[in-house]
Amino acid sequence: MLVKLTISSMRKMFKDYLVLLFGLTISIAIFYMFQTLAQNKAFIESNAMISSVVFIFHVGSVILGFITIFYIFYATSFIQTLRQKEMAMYMTLGAKKGKITQLMFFETFFIGVISLVVGIFLGIGLAVGIAELFMWQLDFQGEGFKAIYPSSILTTVIFYIVLFLLTSLVNAWQIGRKNVLDLLKAEQKQDIVKTNGIKTFIGALLAIILIGIGYYAMTEIEKLQQFGVILATVTIIPGTYFIFISLLPYVVKKLKQNRRLNETGINSFTLGQLRFRMLHLTQVLGTVAMLIALGLGAMTAGISFYHNIETQSSMYHANDVVIHQPTEEDLQTLKEMTITEQHAYSYKINDNGIYYLKQDLVENAPEVKAYDAEFELPKTKRVNEPLPAARYSLNGEEGTEELPENWWTAISTELNTSYNMFGSLPVYVLNAEEYQKVEADEQSVILVQVDDFMNYLSQFETINDNQTELAETYLRKPVENNGGKYGNYLAFKSIASGTIFMGLFLGVAFLMMMASVLMFKLLSSAGADVHRYHMLRKIGVRRSLLKRSIYRELFLLFLFPALVGLVHVIVGMQMFSFIIIEPYTKIWIPISIFFVIYGIYYLITVHLYKRIVLPKEV
Amino acid sequence: MNQPVLHVSHLDKVYGKKNENQYHALKDVNFDIQSGEFVGIMGPSGAGKTTLLNVISTLDQSTSGTIEIAGTNITAMKQNQLADFRSEQLGFIFQDFNLLENLTVYENIALPLSLKGVPSKDIKPNVLKVASKLGIQEIIDKYPVTISGGQKQRVAAARALVHEPAMVLADEPTGALDSKNAKSLMETLVHLNENHHTSIMLVTHDPLSASYCQRILFIQDGQLYKEIHRDTTRNSFHQEILDVLAEFATPNELD
Repeated sequence: MLVKLTISSMRKMFKDYLVLLFGLTISIAIFYMFQTLAQNKAFIESNAMISSVVFIFHVGSVILGFITIFYIFYATSFIQTLRQKEMAMYMTLGAKKGKITQLMFFETFFIGVISLVVGIFLGIGLAVGIAELFMWQLDFQGEGFKAIYPSSILTTVIFYIVLFLLTSLVNAWQIGRKNVLDLLKAEQKQDIVKTNGIKTFIGALLAIILIGIGYYAMTEIEKLQQFGVILATVTIIPGTYFIFISLLPYVVKKLKQNRRLNETGINSFTLGQLRFRMLHLTQVLGTVAMLIALGLGAMTAGISFYHNIETQSSMYHANDVVIHQPTEEDLQTLKEMTITEQHAYSYKINDNGIYYLKQDLVENAPEVKAYDAEFELPKTKRVNEPLPAARYSLNGEEGTEELPENWWTAISTELNTSYNMFGSLPVYVLNAEEYQKVEADEQSVILVQVDDFMNYLSQFETINDNQTELAETYLRKPVENNGGKYGNYLAFKSIASGTIFMGLFLGVAFLMMMASVLMFKLLSSAGADVHRYHMLRKIGVRRSLLKRSIYRELFLLFLFPALVGLVHVIVGMQMFSFIIIEPYTKIWIPISIFFVIYGIYYLITVHLYKRIVLPKEV
Repeated sequence: MNQPVLHVSHLDKVYGKKNENQYHALKDVNFDIQSGEFVGIMGPSGAGKTTLLNVISTLDQSTSGTIEIAGTNITAMKQNQLADFRSEQLGFIFQDFNLLENLTVYENIALPLSLKGVPSKDIKPNVLKVASKLGIQEIIDKYPVTISGGQKQRVAAARALVHEPAMVLADEPTGALDSKNAKSLMETLVHLNENHHTSIMLVTHDPLSASYCQRILFIQDGQLYKEIHRDTTRNSFHQEILDVLAEFATPNELD
């Protein structure tokens, strides 16, 4: 009989349970998705640029595990708040405590198992979808990545079964321990807020000091090395929690003391809600801020690596493409691009060497990347060194002058007159008279700069293929990389894209997880707010005003951890400054991805929250 | 001087749709409350007291009939107008206080004023004035959790009065109070009524609380059953009320 009752009441509360199922499923899916990468050692090791990536994944697994444990406890306490009144009613009608405990246990467990099945399927789907998306975006093969990874499925199932067992037991035990009256009146319990001035002040101070040390450690990572990483971890984590325990409640309290602000419209209620909410949510908000920092950090690092490819590949080349002996196809392809600078040079090539015409070069001096000082990025500069002699050569052949440095770079790098292109032929720059004497057909080479290198990757690919073919006729063997800018770009990309892929994958997993943690925690406490909104309605607050209050309150609750996390990331990117050339370029991309995911969660939360707390209108 | 603050005519409230099992909660109810009057509504459980209160307080809609409060017909109003009307013309006191426990006493009392858009500098004097009327100046900065039930109900009353509504609706305000606090609250209401001409409509079960009213309307099965006026002492009025209540039980059952 009781079982029947339970099932029927579960059906009635289907909507509420849907929230729970949704949350659990997401958590399981993300956990699984993460495990597909974390456990696939072969994939990680073969695709990671940094050797400690495996270690990072282990740390990630542990963090995610802890978060999941908290998450599941929130989720199951949500069931409890949904059900305790009903359970108490059964008890007053004479149901035995043991029976109720049993029911509670099975209910929690049952929901857990359903979400486990759905979650794993969803996880496989997510892993496939996200992996495909990023691989396609990054043009990365990702061999060895498997969305269906048996040992990950096993880990997920075992981890969650144990967790569900544990939480079901705790849940059942808690219900069983309380007396009937407590349960019946659980909804009427009131919150008590205690704030101690001195404690708050010390907490706020600690927050600032700890975060300060952590930030210092991250910016000075080159000096501090691994110690810096450890120092940043042990200071920033507690510092973040102190921000939410002391600093923010203090700020809201100060806001409330501004009478003009507090006594306008429904502000006093919104701020009051916010203040209470924040005191209950300190740990959650802190955790969410840390997760945002981790997820966003991983994504930002990933995208910076990606951006770094372009920066790295243009580090040595001032010009975007060089075309030796252009074919008709090459010339057609050039027409598709917006060209900002183009020069053509004549040269002759025979079995004894490659000969450039000096006048040609001097009249249309190309740009090169020149080093001004050590440890600085090379700067773009037009070659202006004079060439008075009649014969120059690249490697100081007999009877010639050696080319000045920038001309040397221009010919070997910009014009790609290199081993990869022509083999080990000597390269000469001759005046008109000498040039005439060389017996060979005249060839030409085109040097081009375009408005945006990344816009014309497919065109560069065509040209590059033709150039590789040409190189193969000179070298008489297969050529992998003919050494142009595009060739470099491909080489850098193949090294970095594994790391980038993992960064993005990890980042998205963490972001989705943290947003759902926050959503869940907010929704699970929504029940207690119902009577407040009903009361406000009674005293004549317009529905639109109530909605606005909800939007604002939840907005601020979402905003604070986002801001803290964001600042952590922006400072934290300093850690990568020694492997990434410009860690902050295009940082807006991961930040926008983050805000989109986060925004969606915010809207879903507001929507569900409104449905729970807003009184039905007649 | 005696303009009706509340005018109810031919009020019907039917629950349930047509062709379904319908239930007439209110049937052709007619009455007036004059400005400055203190009127009680009594009746057994299920008589329609709460329905009447909900309809008058614009929380529920009537099926037919008209309700005019301070000259405004509220039955034709839209959702937002109703909300505005409630916040301007009505004050509520509930059995379970309905204070917002995340706001201080001061903020609770100030809320109706800030909702009306009263500038912050005008709010404080108003709040302090009404707080002193109700004798709760001492606890103004406390949170509801830390004060007693009697104090909570005074805070609720202060909140109901602070924006000087046309009428105060009190739904079993003494229901959750002990006899001493109940007495003190009722005396406060009488004081407000007599000295500040606040119109009060009190819905109650409790004959003792009801005996503070000037006039009592009894309803039974959704209809007005009887009306009595107090023109003697409170004690004899109390006795009169008890007699009417006794009648409710008797007519058919003792035949």
